[in-house]
Amino acid sequence: MLAHITNQSDRYKKTGVLYRVLMFLVMMGFSTFSIADEKPLTLHLWHQRPAPSRAVLNDLILEYEQLHPDIKVEPLYKENEELRMGYQAAAAFTGGGPEILYGPSDFTGALDEMNIIKPLENAFDTAFLKDFDPTGLTYYRDHLYQIGDELGNHLALVWNKRLFADVGLDHAPETLDELIEYGQKLTLDLDGDGVIDQYGLVWNYTEPFFFMPFYSSYGGWVMDENGNPTLDNEAAVKAFQFVVDLRDKYKIIPRECDYDIADSKFNSGRAAMLINGAWAWAKYMESPDVDFGLSVLPLNTETGIYPAPMVATKGYWLNPYLSDRALTESVNLVKFLTSPAAQLAFAQRTSIIPTRYSVRALPEIKNDPVIATSIRQVEYGRAMPVIPEMRAIWDAMRPAYQNVLGGGMTPAEGAAYMQKLAEQKIAELYEGQEESTIWTQIMVIAVYLGGILLALWAIVKLITGFIRPLMNNPQGTVTQNARFAVWMVAPAAIFLFGVVVFPFGYNLVISLSNMGMTTVNSWKIIGFGQYGKVFSDPNFYHFLWRTIVWTVSNVTVHVFVGVCLAMLLNRPLWGKGIIRVLLVLPWAVPSYITALTWRGMFNTDSGAINLILRNLFGMQPIPWLTDATNAFLATIITNIWLGIPFMMVIALGGLQAIPKELYEAAEIDGASGWEQFKKITLPLLKPVMLPAITLGIVWTFNNINVVWLVSNGGQPGDQTHILVSFVYRAAFNLYRYGYAAAFSFVIFLMLAAFSIKFMKRGGATGSAY
Amino acid sequence: MKRTTAMQYILIYALLFIFIAWSVYPILRVITISIRPGDNLLNESLAIIPDNWTFDNYIKLFTDHPFLRWMWNSILVTGTVVVTGVALASTAGYAISRYKFPGREASLLSLLVTQMFPATMLLLPLFIMLAKLHLINTYLGLIVIYTSTALPFCVWQMKGYYDTIPYSLEEAARIDGASRFGAFYKVILPIATPALVITALFSFMSAWTEYIVAAQVLQYQDMFTLPVGIKNFQANMTTEWGLYAASALLVSIPAVALFLFLTRYLVGGLTLGSVKG
Repeated sequence: MLAHITNQSDRYKKTGVLYRVLMFLVMMGFSTFSIADEKPLTLHLWHQRPAPSRAVLNDLILEYEQLHPDIKVEPLYKENEELRMGYQAAAAFTGGGPEILYGPSDFTGALDEMNIIKPLENAFDTAFLKDFDPTGLTYYRDHLYQIGDELGNHLALVWNKRLFADVGLDHAPETLDELIEYGQKLTLDLDGDGVIDQYGLVWNYTEPFFFMPFYSSYGGWVMDENGNPTLDNEAAVKAFQFVVDLRDKYKIIPRECDYDIADSKFNSGRAAMLINGAWAWAKYMESPDVDFGLSVLPLNTETGIYPAPMVATKGYWLNPYLSDRALTESVNLVKFLTSPAAQLAFAQRTSIIPTRYSVRALPEIKNDPVIATSIRQVEYGRAMPVIPEMRAIWDAMRPAYQNVLGGGMTPAEGAAYMQKLAEQKIAELYEGQEESTIWTQIMVIAVYLGGILLALWAIVKLITGFIRPLMNNPQGTVTQNARFAVWMVAPAAIFLFGVVVFPFGYNLVISLSNMGMTTVNSWKIIGFGQYGKVFSDPNFYHFLWRTIVWTVSNVTVHVFVGVCLAMLLNRPLWGKGIIRVLLVLPWAVPSYITALTWRGMFNTDSGAINLILRNLFGMQPIPWLTDATNAFLATIITNIWLGIPFMMVIALGGLQAIPKELYEAAEIDGASGWEQFKKITLPLLKPVMLPAITLGIVWTFNNINVVWLVSNGGQPGDQTHILVSFVYRAAFNLYRYGYAAAFSFVIFLMLAAFSIKFMKRGGATGSAY
Repeated sequence: MKRTTAMQYILIYALLFIFIAWSVYPILRVITISIRPGDNLLNESLAIIPDNWTFDNYIKLFTDHPFLRWMWNSILVTGTVVVTGVALASTAGYAISRYKFPGREASLLSLLVTQMFPATMLLLPLFIMLAKLHLINTYLGLIVIYTSTALPFCVWQMKGYYDTIPYSLEEAARIDGASRFGAFYKVILPIATPALVITALFSFMSAWTEYIVAAQVLQYQDMFTLPVGIKNFQANMTTEWGLYAASALLVSIPAVALFLFLTRYLVGGLTLGSVKG
């Protein structure tokens, strides 16, 4: 290519750029080297500690590195779910991952099923372990896997002493009846405008984990000693009814309240009581609007049982694939991080409960009122199960519970549904163990044969269609042209080929396999069974229809409004530059924050949308996010907002390309504005817009982000989904990799068939003149 | 084009105002979160500027966190993606638009087809592939993936744009003695500036705010790009909303600046006068 450039200054410019690119590549090459093999040993620690806890960890790490100059510790923070998935991807699929992992005990079962955590009985001797509360050491299938350093994650009752004092109360409720009574006293319309400004109680009541205390206070629990779900019982029905009554009968909790709403309201002094976990208390202690009080969850006088929140240990696991030196050093680091001094630091700075008896006995801890209350609450609590079935149970409880809250099911129906769903999901979790029949064996042979034939066909096509024509008549113009074109396309093709082909092939193979939680490393081809599961699930068709509605409504509005805006702007205007920038902002600001902002705006009681509707149009508040149809609409509105700028920019570019002379000529010929649009603008805009529209359709169809963020993962009750978010939740929560691969391949085939037809019909493979 | 009357101007500005309000309002709320003290996502009032506003969150971003470091990393990665993306898309799109060659239709359609796989499904195999190639924790791995993600749209876009340029221009250039590449580089490319602008912008946007792949690939804090660094503030139940909002706004500024800079070049225009008949 360079040889073609004869102009001197061009060559100079090219060399300058080339030099800079080269230096950059060299720099990057160094970065690969400098991080790999170093003399001091680097230990990687992945964790999910929230910010205040992270600060303590970083201080401890600095101290450790000073004591051991030959060791470097590299911590990495990942949010809880990402930590689980990231570690699994790294350890199970590539045999890598960090040396040490830190997280909540409930990961343990699944991690062990995938064989990516190390049994620790031999690495830590009994003398060391004696000081630890047994609840702080996580066992699974008779092996010790996790050394816990904090007991916590449990819910308790947080109350704002100042708001209590305002109504003449000086202590937190001690029974559920008092909870209701105090709650009613504390739910106030302070400025008399008919809208409640202060709620007696707020909490993330739509999430099963936050429902557990009340369920357990009626005597219920998630499973029996064998891991079988026990959700269909009197306790569940009563507990469901209790929460519904708090909202509808006693009216002390908001109609719509998720985690962030509860957190914001309490933190800013607009709610008197809050049920939240140990990780959040430090924040409220620092808030100027809160006079912090902590209390045990009140007694259920009907049953005489105290609510039992789930108590989990957080601690350290070790990677099983460690060299001897790495293992020894990792054990030392874990011992240091769980030492009495370390636990004391965490307890004092983040109010967690240490797992070591010796630390709990220290006066600083024993006399700390917050920790004391926390310990009392833990004593009433119950350990969170660590077996993998727990994930399936959460996924079953959530939709049932949210359905009952939404009025779609009675409490009794909800309990029965929960149980059924839990059993079904547990079965799905352990799928991959099915026996092979004669049919599956035939299918497997068919698959292998098909693969071989496909490869042969591809090779033949490559030779006849591609290589032969390029070798034919090398001096002719046609071949010369063709070769030039191939050179021009090659770099892009190589990039794409490299990045896309392997994942594509991998997915195809996995979709024909039985890969699941128990078969991560021992999967085998089983034929089309997974596809059978996909097509026999009624949810598939339900969400397919939803996704079509989602896509069509989004793209139509995007294009229509985008083109209109571009046309409005395609003329001399004062302030055009600023206007364009303002209109493009939704594209420029990262969607993860704007999607969450929109979610906040859709809040029934205090969101901007309902406030505007009320103040400008006098409308009643619309329950956006607690009603399935409205929630879906909310996600569409948000995505419309996000997607218009893109189409507007494309249209602007396209309009600019249309020569003004054409319009002038049409003007002279007497054509009207509409005729000009139809005969000049539209045809010349088409080749520019058509790829954007097609890709817009494909991207919108597959856009998981917006739906997920606005509906908070499919709420209410796992109904606000499009195909991709549904398969994400259904498959990745339960490790159904084979099923997910088949599902995505089906999505892919549908989109491929559609768009190829669409593009060919629109004539985008040709040219405009 | 007819001269726009005063009445039409008023109508146009009114419409634009409505759309601007619609576009900008949520952003204003993000600003509100970022200047609000304490850590609240939600608020009852419609006020844009809360009573006790403060720039603390912005200051904390730079003093408590290596925000500048993240920004530099992002600039490095995104810059390379933009340059590579524009270079590859402009050439590939040209070839597809102008020439018939074996595999032309296949290339075109396969570009499209690569977009159809749900991204979440590609993550795992992508990660495995990068690990086997020892590209984990390198910018090269990230750049390759980002460029490949942006390419299909950019190539299609360039191709569509080239299609609107009559072939007669190249013919004239070649008659004057230019080579195929010369005709492309000297004559067609300058005319295709609006499409190049869109390609650059799109490549930038797809790399600048991308989080998921970066989070999988980058495992050293020092190497974090902005989106990965910012994620430190966000967790399912312990988000530091003030910092999160402030950082999101700062992240948007370069994108907006780039847009401002590039829209000058969105003015294209073909002078038909150079070719007659």
